Amino acid sequence: MFEKVAQKLKEPLMPKCTINGKEIEVKDGTTIMEAFYQKEVPIAHYCYHPGLSIAGVCRLCMVEIEGMPRTQIACNTKITEGMKISNVSDKAKDSVKWALDFHLINHPLDCPICDQAGECGLQEQYMHFGKYEPEMGQGKVKKRKVVDLGERVVLDTERCILCSRCVRFTDEVSKTNELGIFNRGDRSEVGTFQDKPLNNNYSVNTVDICPVGALTAKDFRFKQRVWLLKNRESICTGCSTGCNVNVYFNKGGVYRLKPKYNSDVNGHWMCDKGRDTYKHLNVEARLTKGKKTEEGKTTECDAGELAKQTAQLIEKIKKEGGGDSIGLIVTAQYSNEEYAAMFELFKIKLGSNNVFYWINNQKTFEAFDGLLYRGDKNPNTKGLLRALSKCKFDQTWDKLEEKIKAKQLKIVVVLGPENQEVYPDISEKLKLLNSVDNVVWLTTNQVLGTELLKSCWQIPVKSTIEKSGTYINFKGLEQKIKPVTNIVSGALTLTEAAALFAGDEIPFDSKTPVKGERVWNEFFHHRGDL
Amino acid sequence: MSLVKKDAAIDRWFLPGIIAGLFFTIKKMLANIFNRKSMPTLNYPEEKFEYSPRFKGTHILTVKKDGSLRCTACMLCATACPAECINIVAAEHDDPVVEKYPVKYEIDILRCVFCGMCEEACPVDAVRLGPEWQIPGVNGSNFIYDIRFLAYRPALKGGIPSTVEDEERHQAGI
Repeated sequence: MFEKVAQKLKEPLMPKCTINGKEIEVKDGTTIMEAFYQKEVPIAHYCYHPGLSIAGVCRLCMVEIEGMPRTQIACNTKITEGMKISNVSDKAKDSVKWALDFHLINHPLDCPICDQAGECGLQEQYMHFGKYEPEMGQGKVKKRKVVDLGERVVLDTERCILCSRCVRFTDEVSKTNELGIFNRGDRSEVGTFQDKPLNNNYSVNTVDICPVGALTAKDFRFKQRVWLLKNRESICTGCSTGCNVNVYFNKGGVYRLKPKYNSDVNGHWMCDKGRDTYKHLNVEARLTKGKKTEEGKTTECDAGELAKQTAQLIEKIKKEGGGDSIGLIVTAQYSNEEYAAMFELFKIKLGSNNVFYWINNQKTFEAFDGLLYRGDKNPNTKGLLRALSKCKFDQTWDKLEEKIKAKQLKIVVVLGPENQEVYPDISEKLKLLNSVDNVVWLTTNQVLGTELLKSCWQIPVKSTIEKSGTYINFKGLEQKIKPVTNIVSGALTLTEAAALFAGDEIPFDSKTPVKGERVWNEFFHHRGDL
Repeated sequence: MSLVKKDAAIDRWFLPGIIAGLFFTIKKMLANIFNRKSMPTLNYPEEKFEYSPRFKGTHILTVKKDGSLRCTACMLCATACPAECINIVAAEHDDPVVEKYPVKYEIDILRCVFCGMCEEACPVDAVRLGPEWQIPGVNGSNFIYDIRFLAYRPALKGGIPSTVEDEERHQAGI
């Protein structure tokens, strides 16, 4: 008998409850809010965030529980056996309405100039539960607006609903403790002590989690209204962590990156440095046409044409000097598929073993800030190392230097870095490459200083968000990404470039859209769909 | 019995039709010559038609009491515009009370369909469709109206004041 009891105690308790009439089973200790999240039932809330501790201050997640005289908050009430919970009953809806009414007493109605408009919690819940006439007889309490909080964040204390998400974020996640709530009652204000700047590397996360427009990002401020943007998933290429992101873009280009939840990689957050990586993706920074510099003269031509000319040049050099007079320099900023195609070209078709790995900052590769940001500023170092060892390429920049000095290389193809900021030694390397007769530089962005080279052909290639591919992050997790949008349509992927270098044609997908089938148009504005 | 009425023999001939048409034209011409008041057309450049004051013509950007632009660059007009002819670039204003203002507000009037949706979408009475309708231009660039034209063209005599003022709203506790 005791055995049976012991067996029973070992089994995890799975209390059953009903959410809006549907019976569900949850783990013991689950709060009502977590159960709503698990079952993906929408529930109004501001202060609860799955990545932060529970505060229970916004009083908006009110649910009616059968048998209880009053409505309870879902975020801090644990589920017990047989609970009957509803957030759609009239009583629950009425409590949410009143909670919202209190939130809006002192909220300024400056939605027209507020960046959060369109993704604002107050707007959303008002359309669900509010739609009342304001009954407040007194004027609003005025607070400070446009408070400068350092390099990345602007604070508007008037719009704040004091949910304390940002305060808990700096306490618990970034552990920098800058933000706090000062004063009491309706004079309560969120802010930093004496308006000291909020300059930690995770500050913009507070903007993301702010349910209203109290914290706005300086970088995105007033650039675009959010309802004019579309978003698609991708990964951040700022470092080897490979955070999952949502890329917000429209026909004007990419406007911002926001973290996307992935428990294996980044959780709910991403760093501020990673958020800047969209800047080199936009067309202003990009190389849009092939550039051919010969003896100081630069001419422009299409990427494909230049790649074909390169193929002819490579063939000529191969006939004269053999495969070993052709070299390839690789950086860890491209996808596995592209490395495979390029290495196949060099190893099998050209018979060259001259593949050199360009390491940018090996001293800091192991650096880690304890949260997300890593010293290895390449998204696919692991993938490149795997591809190199598979083909038994083990040469680095020192070997290249020797070979260039010995005049063994007639042509060097460079798979240049996409994010050139993390390659500060780029101009030094260019000086060295100056003694090679032909340099073919495959790059997404305009390379500064290539005009110093005697002969350099720059071929535009597609950036991370324009191609599909696999990237392997620091711990060996393979992440497949799909193209987000098209920014430079004339650019090639490295797979296409490798095919053209080998003298093949790029397979062209000539599938015409079936009549009646909706073609996804990237320039299509979707409006009003919040 | 067929329901299709066949042409009479005379209708197949060319000349009778021509003569009947000319007779109608000449009749109207003579009526216009001898009774000019009944003529529905205008001698346009000299005579102009008076439209009702509710006519929706060329856009106006209203101004505040101090003469600066009322528009807050909220982009609601650009969002509502079915012809997508409004192009706004917003920027941060030095004055924290104003906060956001348009550095560029352009209307491509050749794309505009004068539906008035921008006027209805505007939360601060910053854009209106005015009574003007004579909008000639020499080349394409004349038809992209910028802030200078929309708010401060000579016909507006220094700008049309908006009915919504921030100062008054703040005093009322809104």
